[in-house]
Amino acid sequence: MTIPSPKQIKAMADAAGVPIDNEVATRIANSIGPAFEGFAPIAGTAPFDLEPASFLLVQGKKVSP
Amino acid sequence: MSTEPALMSLTAVAKAIAEKRLSSHEVTRSCLDRVAEWQPRLNAFMTIESEAALKAAVDADAALAKGQSRGPLHGVPLAHKDMYYDAGKVVTCGSLIRRDFVPSITSTALQRLKDVGQIRLGSLQMVEFAYGPTGHNVHYGAVRNPFATEHITGGSSSGSGSAVAARLTFAALGSDTGGSIRMPAHFCGVTGLKTTYGRISRVGAMPLSQSLDTVGPLARTAEDCALLLGLMAGADPEDPTCSTAPVPDYMASTTGSIKGMKIGVPTVFYVDDLDAEVAKVLDDSIATLRREGAEIIKVELPDQRQLTAACQLVLAAEAAAYHKRWLIERPQDYGAQVLMRLQNGLAIPGVTYLEALRWRGPALAAHVTATSCVDAVLAPVAPVPAPTIAESDVGTSPGAEAVIQRLTRFTRPINYLGLPSLAVPAGFTAKGLPVGMQLIGRSFDEATVLQIGAAFQRATDFHDKLPMPS
Repeated sequence: MTIPSPKQIKAMADAAGVPIDNEVATRIANSIGPAFEGFAPIAGTAPFDLEPASFLLVQGKKVSP
Repeated sequence: MSTEPALMSLTAVAKAIAEKRLSSHEVTRSCLDRVAEWQPRLNAFMTIESEAALKAAVDADAALAKGQSRGPLHGVPLAHKDMYYDAGKVVTCGSLIRRDFVPSITSTALQRLKDVGQIRLGSLQMVEFAYGPTGHNVHYGAVRNPFATEHITGGSSSGSGSAVAARLTFAALGSDTGGSIRMPAHFCGVTGLKTTYGRISRVGAMPLSQSLDTVGPLARTAEDCALLLGLMAGADPEDPTCSTAPVPDYMASTTGSIKGMKIGVPTVFYVDDLDAEVAKVLDDSIATLRREGAEIIKVELPDQRQLTAACQLVLAAEAAAYHKRWLIERPQDYGAQVLMRLQNGLAIPGVTYLEALRWRGPALAAHVTATSCVDAVLAPVAPVPAPTIAESDVGTSPGAEAVIQRLTRFTRPINYLGLPSLAVPAGFTAKGLPVGMQLIGRSFDEATVLQIGAAFQRATDFHDKLPMPS
């Protein structure tokens, strides 16, 4: 997983319709970088058919100690 | 019983009004007297509605005299975080952008409290759009900690923590997306319940992150939180994310012994980089729970760093999406730090956001497996006691996000997993700053953490300590 560079972030923000300048893009890259690093070990490893809604299924299961 | 009604617990004062030992007017007057004394020091209230509250109290007393009670909160004055829509009342969400916003609906959680008789004292301060853990607000000023007014309250439910701690309101609604109920509970010495994702309807509660937002109370005791949870929980046809799971008798759970219960203590992550006084409080709390008959068991949790990272990715992307229009049209009307944090969400690709959401199910399943041998897990709320306002005023400095992430590192994994967690006052530092612990339960099992919290509070008196005017 690659941490987005300031240049990429600027392009993403522009595409989202929220333009930002180079300084803000650099600041965002530094701020959000650790979140990408922390998620990197599991990024791209999810099973193909894993649904986000599987969370609700797990949440609803009864568990006894 | 204290001679000052405002110093009573929520359950005690509600019972005293119901039994006509105290009038709603006496109780409301007592709260307003304390608000007048403390508000200039704390800045906990956004609005104070003295006249309307006293009139509502007179009406509540008159109704009760005729044998007409609206329910368990009849005539009890409360104030809540200024993000719960109350039709016809300004709800600022702690922001300049919504300074004059008047909703046409009332939030489901608030309506359920109104339906059983609560009286509105006013509204409580909060971090702008609930996006920050310190309590700073550049538009309306920092809220101050009643135990040491140069220290932060924690956020984002800053006014809720401060006002409950100073006994200005018997309880207050907060919201918890990354720790916003538990942080002020920890820093201000009150009890705060982050509910299971989906336990309480979010209709009419200002959104920050639809996958993580939860509604919950801050109060003086676990028993008070149980009372409020029981009144607010349950299905809402207007909120498809709100669970239809049955609502148990939470109050009944608070009377039970914890003898034989198993409480897990993590061996890694939650023990790293802890302030020495926070660590000592946790050790003492474990000893107390053991004396009360609980069995303490070490548990190895899955890697929590991945959960905190996933939580940050989901929160940032969803918050940016909610705020996109204002980010384009009114960026100058945000506080600099909140704007900076909202802009972070622009850097998260859709694929990454969805990956972080997809992992929630397996992450929760792994947590359930790792904790299957215990009833709840005990952990710190934050690695430190309340910093000063000055030292935590990091603004938009290069290290600001790192400071914020450090403060919330023990709370965010629980939001990602959607679990309930009760923050309970557990001790004080040598300087008199409160320290809390969190009791993390299973999905929809708030009853167990309330039971443990109530047992802990029967064995200790940290929740009874009053802040003194400095």
